Amino acid sequence: MDKRKALIVDDSSLARMMVRKFFSESFKDWDLLEAKDGDDALALVEGQTLHLALIDFNMPGMNGIDLSEKLLEKHPDLSIHLVTANIQERMQLRAESIGIGFIKKPINQEKIVAAMQGLKG
Amino acid sequence: MFRLSELEEDALKEFFNMGLGMAADSLSQMVRNEVLLTLPKLKVVPYEEAARMLVENQEEKLVAVRQNFRGELAGTALLIFPGTESLELVRTLLNEDIPLEVVTELEQETLLDVGNVILNAFLESFTQMMHVEFEFESAEFLKGSSRFLLDITSHLAAQRQSLMEGADEDEERAFVLMMDFKTSDEEDAQHTLSGFVVLLFSHQAMLILKRELEVILSGL
Repeated sequence: MDKRKALIVDDSSLARMMVRKFFSESFKDWDLLEAKDGDDALALVEGQTLHLALIDFNMPGMNGIDLSEKLLEKHPDLSIHLVTANIQERMQLRAESIGIGFIKKPINQEKIVAAMQGLKG
Repeated sequence: MFRLSELEEDALKEFFNMGLGMAADSLSQMVRNEVLLTLPKLKVVPYEEAARMLVENQEEKLVAVRQNFRGELAGTALLIFPGTESLELVRTLLNEDIPLEVVTELEQETLLDVGNVILNAFLESFTQMMHVEFEFESAEFLKGSSRFLLDITSHLAAQRQSLMEGADEDEERAFVLMMDFKTSDEEDAQHTLSGFVVLLFSHQAMLILKRELEVILSGL
């Protein structure tokens, strides 16, 4: 059976390393794709089947909401979660308004597990 | 000479990012408006250069809330607004219709409260990721021209005497984190605020931060 695929998009190396560690330790049945910004992410996922995306908001170039909207155009079934230090209510409402989840930084294993719950298939 | 690796700098930026996220959330609840955050700029520079950076491109009149912190991690956090912005913040927080002279009277007290909430939220975020302990001193209100702000340097110089015991004077550096923030309602100038946060750390504190960063990164 093919592994499921998750995408992490964050301009912080630390944030990506933390997510990578959680996946390598606890989610071995997943492949993790990593991108440092929106353009990088869009190029990386071209032609891929994705199941979960964890996306930072404040990045160089396009922000996480804009990137999520672009990803949803091509991957309407993708489960996307905004992972951000910007924990203001309006940011959460903005995520909600486009139908994506919201995770407060710092991310941890429990938050990833919660994001995985309810995934199709 | 003290240096952070690229990865260590990246990690510190991310911690600061989380700190400002917490602080912005507190501020947004106070002003009942969204606070927009820029990407953090992190620089490691001597104190004197830090002071120059503070006044660069700023209006003559500046207002700052300064929060010193002591303990294992020692340093100074500054929340800085251009003078006109600070009055606008006070007006937004209290009542937009109150007269200017009343706003001015309440400026210091209100900004100290705001600064205390914001800087505490900011600094406490460090403890989420690092095993460091520190205590806050009382927040101080500072107001004046760029020239006056430079006088902060001499105040810092007095403070760092106690922080720098045994340290090589040539190795003095400050972390200067400059993150701009502003409220979203740009079309209505009366409701637009902007400012930035600066952190100054003693040499000793920087060594502690570096040690903590090494521990965190080695576990990844």
